[in-house]
Amino acid sequence: MADEMTADFEKRYNGGPTIRAALGLPVGRSHVTVLFGPSGAGKTTVLRCLAGLERPERGRVRFASETWVDTDVGVMAPPQARGVGYLFQDYALFPHLTVAGNITYAIHDLDSRERRVRLDEMIRLLRLEGLEDRRPAQLSGGQQQRVALARVLARRPRLLLLDEPLSALDAPTREQLRGELRALLRGQRMPTLCVTHDWVEALTLADQVAVMAGGRILQTGSPDSVFSRPANAEVAAIVGVETVIAGKVVGRQDGLAAFDVAGKQLWAVEASGKGEAFYLCIRAEDVILEIGAQPSSSARNHLAGRVTDVRPAGPVSRVAVDCGFALTALVTRQAAQDLALRPGTPVTATVKASAIHLIPR
Amino acid sequence: MNWAPIVLTLKLAGLTALILVAVGMPIAYWLTYSRWRWKFLAESVVALPLVLPPTVLGFYVLVAVGPKSPLGQGYQALVGHPLAFTFEGLLFASVLYSLPFAVQPFASAFGSVDPKLVEASWTLGISRLATFLRVTLPLSAAGVVTGVVLSFAHTMGEFGVVLMVGGNIPGVTRTVSIDIYDEVQALNYAGAAETALVLLIFSFVVLSVVYALNRNMWVVWPMR
Repeated sequence: MADEMTADFEKRYNGGPTIRAALGLPVGRSHVTVLFGPSGAGKTTVLRCLAGLERPERGRVRFASETWVDTDVGVMAPPQARGVGYLFQDYALFPHLTVAGNITYAIHDLDSRERRVRLDEMIRLLRLEGLEDRRPAQLSGGQQQRVALARVLARRPRLLLLDEPLSALDAPTREQLRGELRALLRGQRMPTLCVTHDWVEALTLADQVAVMAGGRILQTGSPDSVFSRPANAEVAAIVGVETVIAGKVVGRQDGLAAFDVAGKQLWAVEASGKGEAFYLCIRAEDVILEIGAQPSSSARNHLAGRVTDVRPAGPVSRVAVDCGFALTALVTRQAAQDLALRPGTPVTATVKASAIHLIPR
Repeated sequence: MNWAPIVLTLKLAGLTALILVAVGMPIAYWLTYSRWRWKFLAESVVALPLVLPPTVLGFYVLVAVGPKSPLGQGYQALVGHPLAFTFEGLLFASVLYSLPFAVQPFASAFGSVDPKLVEASWTLGISRLATFLRVTLPLSAAGVVTGVVLSFAHTMGEFGVVLMVGGNIPGVTRTVSIDIYDEVQALNYAGAAETALVLLIFSFVVLSVVYALNRNMWVVWPMR
């Protein structure tokens, strides 16, 4: 297929791990793939190999009809020839240039009028008005990040590579920029590969998630499938949130939002009061299982369902419940025995509205 | 006061510093970024003039530029006169002798530029040479100035190499330090004192400029 980017390569470090990656991205349209995993998993190495900053020992990288890397025939395109936009974790802004100088750094060959137009476009897009003559050292972390994005986007790259784009920011700024970054990436006609170890960031940005650990990609898929149906225990431990369901708001009341999920109504506490489509994230330890009919309690969500699987994991058991959608609960082994939980047992799963974490999508 | 040796020395030091900018930068760039496993050998060669007695260096240069060496013969065939005991021969020796004084501050400055900035420039599509000129060089300005000033000043004060390679030909190879030596030999202490004072003041000013530019003196090799 011509409109695809494929990468399949291996990078070895002396005395270190071997990094293997196999990835496919669509080309020429907005699509975000999040490379998700703990630090040291080799995520940044994958980005650097794609950018041409590292040379893989073995493998191929193809971008549409171009070959960037093919170790069999000794092809290794230099970074200059690839047309990627690489956003470094600490932004790597040129300290001796102003904001305007940084943004126009790579479009020096345009004539001055065109350059001005492009600069203004980037200033507007990333809301950097009034900062044109500042130096990077005079900017806040969030502003630096936006300048770095502007510098990368100004030359119209064909592929965006983001290395932990929000990790250098303080928590409130990160919260705010996450949504902005998502809107920005949606508006670009190019694929993005974004590295992160933050699952909220992964769910916010991703169209596709690739979970990486120990130098290997363990699972690739849509965000809700990877988070809700991890392929194995290793992936489950990495993603850390057991149930992720896509849902749409069907009603709002007193700061709560009602969602219709597989015919069941779920209530969740909502901070913003904006947006329609969300991911509903529920951690297994926040799910309470009871036998029999729906009890009445302070919790808003009571879901009737059946146990599909009980799996001991140390002192606790991981119980999968089918209540129209797959829900995972963590109970002590003693509780699992007392309730005689086994596949087929009818249960009521109780989830507090405040235990459902909403991520706009 | 005899100005001819001072003018000659300024000309020699100026040209040496100029050549070292052109020659020293590529060497420093290579030393900074090369991953060649035998690089330390090249580093040693560049640093040799720091520890070698000037007479030893001068002796080898004299042999190298002499009429029997390929370099001397090639030069004579090209230009029409021999290289030894000429200003050009002296310039050649000076460049070698002051090489570490230019290369080491250059390399130290290049090495302290964040490699991420260089990589960022490459991924933005900017060639290696343009990246060097637009990122590395501006960010190493203080180190480059230090290298130029130090090699200039070092050439100003050289004695042994000049004596070995240039001899003592007034207006051609008779530099300030040779002039002072001659005056003392001739028991003309007043003449020697005048010229010596000029050199002393000059050296002090130069070092002050270097120290003012970067507070810490250059290290022998850049930390990496």
